[in-house]
Amino acid sequence: MKNYLNKITKTLLTLITVMITNSCGDPYLEEVDRYSIDSESYFNSETDYYNALIGAYDLLQATYVNVMLGEIASDNTLAGGESPTDVIGFQQIDDMIHTPVNSNLRDIWNWMYAGVNRANFLLEFQDKTDFVGKEIIIGEARFLRAYYYFELVKWFGPIPIKETRFEIGDETTIPRSPVSEVYALIEADLKYAVNNLSYSAPQVGRVTKGAAQALLGKVYLYWSSEPNVDKFSEAATVLDNLIANGPYDLVTDYNTIFENAGENGIESVFEVQYTDAEGAGFGCLQCSEGNVAVGFNGIRNYSGPVFDSGFSFNVPTQDVVDEFEAGDLRKEVAILDIDAWALQTSATFGIGNEHTGYYNRKYIARKGDLNTGDQNLTNPNNYRAIRFADVLLMAAEAYRRGNIDDTKALQYLNRVRARAFGNTNHDVTATGDALTEAIAHERRVELVGEGHRFFDLVRTGKGTLIPGFTANKNEVFPIPFEEIQFSNGNWAQNPNY
Amino acid sequence: MNTKILMFLFLFAATFSFSQNLDVSGTVTDQAGVPLPGVNIIIKGTSKGATTDFDGNFSLNDVPIRSVLVFSYLGFQSQEITISNQNSLNITLQEDAEALNEVVIIGYGAQKRKDVTGAISIINSETLEELRPIDAAQALQGTSAGVSVTAPSGSPGGGYNILIRGISSNGNNGPLVIIDGYKGDLNTINPSDIESFSILKDAQAAIYGIEGANGVVLVTTKIGKKNTVAKISYDGYTGIQETTRQLPYLNATEYALILNESYAANGNALPFPDVSGLGVGTDWQEQLFDTAPMTSHNIAVMGGGDKSTYYFGGSVLQQDGIISSDKSNFQRANLKIKIGFDINEKLKFTTSANYFNNKRKAIGENALGTPLFNALNYSPTYSLDQEDVSGFLGNEVINPLSQIANTYNNYNGNSIEGTFQLEYKPIEGLTITSRIGVKTYNDKGKSFSPIVNYGSGKVFNTDRSTVNQSRNTYNTYTWETFANYSKTFFENHNTTFTLGTSAQRDWGDGLNATGFDVPNNSWEFADISLANGLSEAKSTGSYIYDNRLSSYFARLQYDFKGKYLLSALVRRDGASDFAPQNRTDYFSSVTAGWKVSDENFLKDSKTINFLKLRGSYGNLGNNAGGDLYRALLNGEATYVFDGALVSGVATGRIPTPDTVWESAEKLDIGLDINLFNNKVEITTDYFIEDRNRLLISNLPVSGIVGASAPGAGLPTTNAGSTRNKGIEFFINYKEELSKNLSFGISYNVTKIDGEVTAVKDDIISEGGSFSVGQPAIARLEVGQPIGYFYGLKTDGIFQNQAEIDAAPSQTGLGSATAPGDFRFVDTNGDGVITINDRTYLGKPQPDYIMGLNLSFDYRNFDFRTYMYSEIGKETVRNYERDQPNVNRLNLYLNRWTGDGTSNSVPRTTIGGTNNKLFSDFYVENSSFLRVQNIQLGYSLPKEVIEKLGISKFRIYASVNNAFTLTKYRGYDPAATNGSAIGGGIDYGFYPISRQYILGLNLSL
Repeated sequence: MKNYLNKITKTLLTLITVMITNSCGDPYLEEVDRYSIDSESYFNSETDYYNALIGAYDLLQATYVNVMLGEIASDNTLAGGESPTDVIGFQQIDDMIHTPVNSNLRDIWNWMYAGVNRANFLLEFQDKTDFVGKEIIIGEARFLRAYYYFELVKWFGPIPIKETRFEIGDETTIPRSPVSEVYALIEADLKYAVNNLSYSAPQVGRVTKGAAQALLGKVYLYWSSEPNVDKFSEAATVLDNLIANGPYDLVTDYNTIFENAGENGIESVFEVQYTDAEGAGFGCLQCSEGNVAVGFNGIRNYSGPVFDSGFSFNVPTQDVVDEFEAGDLRKEVAILDIDAWALQTSATFGIGNEHTGYYNRKYIARKGDLNTGDQNLTNPNNYRAIRFADVLLMAAEAYRRGNIDDTKALQYLNRVRARAFGNTNHDVTATGDALTEAIAHERRVELVGEGHRFFDLVRTGKGTLIPGFTANKNEVFPIPFEEIQFSNGNWAQNPNY
Repeated sequence: MNTKILMFLFLFAATFSFSQNLDVSGTVTDQAGVPLPGVNIIIKGTSKGATTDFDGNFSLNDVPIRSVLVFSYLGFQSQEITISNQNSLNITLQEDAEALNEVVIIGYGAQKRKDVTGAISIINSETLEELRPIDAAQALQGTSAGVSVTAPSGSPGGGYNILIRGISSNGNNGPLVIIDGYKGDLNTINPSDIESFSILKDAQAAIYGIEGANGVVLVTTKIGKKNTVAKISYDGYTGIQETTRQLPYLNATEYALILNESYAANGNALPFPDVSGLGVGTDWQEQLFDTAPMTSHNIAVMGGGDKSTYYFGGSVLQQDGIISSDKSNFQRANLKIKIGFDINEKLKFTTSANYFNNKRKAIGENALGTPLFNALNYSPTYSLDQEDVSGFLGNEVINPLSQIANTYNNYNGNSIEGTFQLEYKPIEGLTITSRIGVKTYNDKGKSFSPIVNYGSGKVFNTDRSTVNQSRNTYNTYTWETFANYSKTFFENHNTTFTLGTSAQRDWGDGLNATGFDVPNNSWEFADISLANGLSEAKSTGSYIYDNRLSSYFARLQYDFKGKYLLSALVRRDGASDFAPQNRTDYFSSVTAGWKVSDENFLKDSKTINFLKLRGSYGNLGNNAGGDLYRALLNGEATYVFDGALVSGVATGRIPTPDTVWESAEKLDIGLDINLFNNKVEITTDYFIEDRNRLLISNLPVSGIVGASAPGAGLPTTNAGSTRNKGIEFFINYKEELSKNLSFGISYNVTKIDGEVTAVKDDIISEGGSFSVGQPAIARLEVGQPIGYFYGLKTDGIFQNQAEIDAAPSQTGLGSATAPGDFRFVDTNGDGVITINDRTYLGKPQPDYIMGLNLSFDYRNFDFRTYMYSEIGKETVRNYERDQPNVNRLNLYLNRWTGDGTSNSVPRTTIGGTNNKLFSDFYVENSSFLRVQNIQLGYSLPKEVIEKLGISKFRIYASVNNAFTLTKYRGYDPAATNGSAIGGGIDYGFYPISRQYILGLNLSL
């Protein structure tokens, strides 16, 4: 019996020993070999802040679709493409029959909020670590947040805003702020940027004081389209300050602006940077480091000199071509008459949907880049987001529409026209409403193809010039249907959608 | 020696104590009264015994009274007789239902099949020998109820997806595979090395806790038996393969005429003003498909000595692809060794090792713009080497032959896997097992993309050559220790108790890099070491992972007289992939069984030989989606400063801190019946599984959280439930009609009804794409099957303008409607047709899965056929590029061309129509019945092989994938990429080849 007990004891001991050795317990689960840095343990050095700032810049490249659709939605261009169902979202926006279910509109919502969150990630941790020059990084982050919020308010009207990262659940609790509140936040961010940045950035492509001033002036103009809001004098002040103190000027030859050599030139107040150095795919267009719009705008099945082929979207209408006055040197730069070009160079091309015979020459693919990855998605053409010519025209508009100083308005307007015609013979002399009209006309031809037209029309109450436009509805785009669902009743759809 | 002396002493003592011995003699017969020669008779507890002679007679002298005689004979149930005072015994032995005594592995233990209380399918080496599958997973297809096996591709080395009782999860549905105790994969083992599969389908798998919910496939590999001479066997075959199908496409003239019609319909000039010389043109499918060889050699040696058993196996397999065999092929080699050794009476050591090597080359497949897709869409008017220079066919469709010629890649993977196991039996009834199973798989891949131009605007054009190389390592170890203790209390209460612990780790890492500007634009030079071009962008990547489980488990099995069976088990798992506060959970199940046939009222039934009622219930887990609880800094943050790329840091997928694994609740009620002398076996089960806390990846969330930033992603969280219920039925009938003729038939059918029962906030997740730029077409939605197809329903074709005017407006879909266009159904009844009228159009999962297997043996000939069928499923035809000038199915010859001409195929035009929107026109019934294998073999008669000194010589001819009955138009109705949401969408699946095989089985 004793022997037996002994045996049992031995057995149990063996069993327990082996099992205890084998059983690793919960500490075993902690010793995993993998990356341990995560979002909450970051921002420990200047480099960390700089790296996060790059992340916030990244989404600027996704604004290519805002630029394209700013034209397609307007009376400047048609959607085009391969067929009437090619990127159906573009086609519907062109025809003003878009519904809240439109994946391209949703891209704008999603990508701009992604930008907001990237900026907010940095700003949420802005007090964690101190270093010399932090205010510059903070200033840039606040500019970027303002830039993304501004795009959102332009497209969708009242939007939910937050100054730290949005979290899941916020969509059911944070209301859509009235436009005035959104603008107030944008204004505060941009004022911080204006006060903390200088006219020369540490690196080309980074935000300057000038960019912040220009955007702030632009925001004031847009804000002034709200009922009973008059921010024209604020706009005039900040833009005038920029014109007077900034290092910017018009380049002599309009044509050089949009070529590779003209990137980040003296006329460029803010420019979204693109490159052909990295491949891209259709699965994540917002991930491309290239300007996706350029390939989309490109000449269908083109074979010939100077240009590369593309998808023939965003084709200019006869109407906008006819808007150019005789002698306007900008016409040949902005509009490519493909038939004339083919005749001249023996180039060949295909006929796409809604073929007008014109292409948006400023932003179609050029030969000579690397054509990395999918060459249609990785064109290196920078987007000249705010040009000095735009600043002059905005300043002119502020002085005129604010009834502040028509002379000053004329001076700025004619500075743009003089470059456009190569002489001062075409100077405008009108005042009052006629001057307002002249400035609007000038904006259309100076900035055609650059994504401003739809919003310029809407903010000046002329949306109905767009075929299919319904007043009191199409001034803003519908909030994506999915977002309305996510909000669980928190957000109402824009009127009449 | 010692025992013999003891025995002698004992007997000697017994003789003196009682001195009451008898001489016993008698006859042993079977149930039919036929004498059984060679029956073993032994006095229980002694070594004394006898054997029956040719007439079934035996005699034993000096048998003590009250001793027990044990009669045993292979194939019959043993019988015990207590000697009282009879001298003469006439014994009738009952035939044994062999299968019922089969030992079944159930995870950390084994049971006799008759005692099993869970739902288990068993497949043994016979099936594997008959099917000779390339991949072990194929052996499960159609051979066991409730298990479906699908191939995402017929490309050599393409792999298989296994589903046990359907799709319950929107994520990973693959079962846990345990090979001799370690976690493994079926594709790395040689099917010929497998002894048996046990598939745990119900809550009994809760012993595998957090990894058990998708079912468990337990694989036991072969090993020899003790005291047997070495059996050396060779199995080999060689064959040729061909495609099973070419799709009926338009020839050049038909194509040109249809294009002319499309252009004319839109008022454009005709692209082919003169079609007279076009003829039939190029048949691109014909150019693509070829016959291709395959061969396999397999050698195995197994046997055992007094204290040891062994198995050695080696195999090589070479399979070429039926599309460009030099660019699409597969080679596999395996070496296997398994040794068992008794260190002493109490300690047994077993070890096994399997080396696996596979080499593969592959062409692109099942995506827009891949060679097969292009072969279907490329113009038949082009000659073989003609590129679509003008871009007539759009930007994505290129010459498939050029594309394949410019495809260069290779892949080589090696693994070593195996176990070390010690079994210690310190006292009667107790076994302590400790084992470590390890697996390490290393692979390297290389692909080369040359400078190439397929024509203006083609997206596949490359201006700069690149070579991409990658290295990956995947490791797993499982260390387990467990004790099984069996004891019978008070004669009839049989219990087995299992207690154990397990530690498991899956870890690995990978590196990949791209080199630019390959010298001479040539594969010969395609290596990063030679590609010296610089890139501005980062062209390297790496990853690392490490997932661990720490677990404890216990199980109690109890039966009363072997008649009433009960088991209960619990497992506690801790998983490293979750937030520290959410890492552990308990999984448990109970099972019960009642052997009704052991009750008095059935005991003597001639019809019902065996009848068992069983049930199980429990909860299990599916360990999916680790590391979801935190935001890693693995987003993409790339921008351009100073004209050069700069990289920063951004967060990746949106985190969900409370996310845990999926949980499953499974109920199973089953019946096992053997009838008519065990000739008919029936197993049937009814099951319900509720899968809860479904990890919904890409959970749609508001865009405001920034999930669509580069490198970010939608969150995954526990947000849904599904319910699968169904019935399985399996019947097997074997009959020996005469000495020379026997046959067997086995049929199984599974009916599965799957449905999404709840999703948080009724959010619909989507997946699966159709054409280009159209909304996703597969959905996860409450009340519907997982991954059902969602689109517009058609109701014929508008024959004239009057019909259009009378019907709800369809302009909301984007294009104007003309006669010859689809009439869509206003499913929501709002008077207009919009995208909101999309509705259920079908589902990729079948309602019924069936297998039918027949066997005939006549003298030395054997015949086998295996069939597999899936009924009640749909596949989306998505290999048609939505571009006006591409080639198309001859279905379009029956298009609408005027009032009354067609009510199913719309008109053709290059103008915008709504006809290309995803509708039921593109959803096809893909139910099918496939004859997977037909095989005829001949074995040399016994007399001959004995003379030759061998034990088996069989030659056979077989056809694999012989034919398929289906209405589906595409290559393969069975193919699916296996995704729960987005499966069953056909971009032109690489068809599974038909294989004509000649083989030889030889054993010494």
